[in-house]
Amino acid sequence: MIGMRAQRRRDRTVRVLLLVAALGIFVLPLVWTALAALGLQANNSSSPPSFHGPPTLDHFSEVGLAEPSFWQELFTSTAAAACAAVLAVAAALLTAYGLARSRFPGDRLIIQWFLVLASLPAMAYVIPLSDLMRRAHLIDTFAGVVLTEAAVTTPLAIYVLYGALVQLSTEWEEAAWLDGASIFSVLRRVVLPLVGPTLGATAIILFVLDWNLLLVPLVLTAGGLKTVPVAMIDFFTFERELEWPTAAAALIISLLPVAILVAVFHRVLDRFALNVAPAD
Amino acid sequence: MAVCAAANDSVMRLSRRDRVILFAPAAVLLTGWLILPAVLGLLASLTDYSPFAQAVHLSGLTNYAAVLSDHLFTAAVRNVAVLTMVAVPLELAIGFGLAYLLRGPIWGRGLWRVLLLLPWLVSPIASGVMWHFLLGPTRGILNFALGWIGRPELASPTGDIRLALPTTIAVEIWRVAPLVTFLLLPGFASIPGERWEDATLSGASWMRTALDVVVPALRPLLLAITMLLIGLSLGTFDAVLILTGGGPGTSTVTPALYSYNQAFGANNWPLGAASAWLIAAGVLGAGLVYVGLARSRAS
Repeated sequence: MIGMRAQRRRDRTVRVLLLVAALGIFVLPLVWTALAALGLQANNSSSPPSFHGPPTLDHFSEVGLAEPSFWQELFTSTAAAACAAVLAVAAALLTAYGLARSRFPGDRLIIQWFLVLASLPAMAYVIPLSDLMRRAHLIDTFAGVVLTEAAVTTPLAIYVLYGALVQLSTEWEEAAWLDGASIFSVLRRVVLPLVGPTLGATAIILFVLDWNLLLVPLVLTAGGLKTVPVAMIDFFTFERELEWPTAAAALIISLLPVAILVAVFHRVLDRFALNVAPAD
Repeated sequence: MAVCAAANDSVMRLSRRDRVILFAPAAVLLTGWLILPAVLGLLASLTDYSPFAQAVHLSGLTNYAAVLSDHLFTAAVRNVAVLTMVAVPLELAIGFGLAYLLRGPIWGRGLWRVLLLLPWLVSPIASGVMWHFLLGPTRGILNFALGWIGRPELASPTGDIRLALPTTIAVEIWRVAPLVTFLLLPGFASIPGERWEDATLSGASWMRTALDVVVPALRPLLLAITMLLIGLSLGTFDAVLILTGGGPGTSTVTPALYSYNQAFGANNWPLGAASAWLIAAGVLGAGLVYVGLARSRAS
């Protein structure tokens, strides 16, 4: 038994050491970027390499000078991603519920095809989509970007919400149906409280996905409307290359909203699970 | 299968009107914005259609022939094949390893989880901007480390024709492995505790435990994650746009980059549509295999 306890202690030490190493690989590059944004830059020409520069917040305001519309773009990104996430989750909840409470041949296969649709790269459809949206006068409009971002992420939301709904016991719903409740009141009073956390987790992940989309806003806009990733392409053109501290500040600003969102709600994010076939 | 029986009963109560309400919003979004464009793209790729052309003529498979005989496209296919075959298994393995480490009680587990998800929160384009500098000579992390061990300054590996693709792969693994961990953790939590204890008591190594306990229990989840990663990898576009721009030469060009440049850069709409459909075909092919494997588990 003592041998086992020693073994366990050794295992725990190895585990913490490996986690610290992983932290070095996965988080150190971001710390490096954050330090540069705060004015603490590496100087590799000295021997040995050193860090220099007084800490400053000036680089964050330089972002606004280098890219005058950056704050506007930040707002566009936030608003578009939030609207798209809400729209996609709402549409996905309805469909996932309909699928989870229907029995038809091949229903389990249909749901797997939603995952394939979620895996389909945007490049597969954005070329004709840009043409369609131009004809529908939705190019360079907020509505066009929101609707497309919502459509792109709906399949994944359907997959996740179906997984949550199909595992619910239907007793309460049965009771509500017997009371003559409408589909909306069943959803609102019975289903929503049960899958609320999954719905929230899905909305947060969809927000992150929408926030980081490039190709969709890129081909659906022509300069009138810009999201942050689209603006970042312009950081490097033949005419100019942004200074590292300024670019670093822009990177940190673009990461902060999603990082804060995830940090605040990390407990709920457990509910974002791709478990369509329940683990036996 | 009590759940299914219960679902069966409640089916009676979903009226036709209910079904319209439930399925219409997503059907409109998916049909209008994904399926219709994809189908129109397929039709357009068989013609010489372009939004700026006056007339449209059928052209059969000539667009596909032109794409497939373009050495730039074949280079792109080779790059993305290497990317997929190297990055996807490594992302799965590293993501699995991290999830394994984060399993069970550990001090500050929530904090570890959030920190180890951070790279995925960085957009592919921002990751490209970041690594462009981090791998660069004067301010980067790579040369800082090399300087301390007394190596001479290196030019960025993204500019080296042999190192550009491996560098792109490494950056993608850095960004995507944390997503794998995030998606695996709920699965790890769903494995009954007795199975871990049985494995521990029988003195199994962690490798045996992983292969005998975790992988079989998480097979559907691992399949689903693999499907997402393959789609992500075959569509690689923003991850290379800033980092390498597809170069040097053709060393990191991808089919999506090719397709984008044809349609929006060179204004060669038919070639863009055809090459985009080849990407879609690749993912749908992987999807067929995925659905087949998912079904063989279910039955």
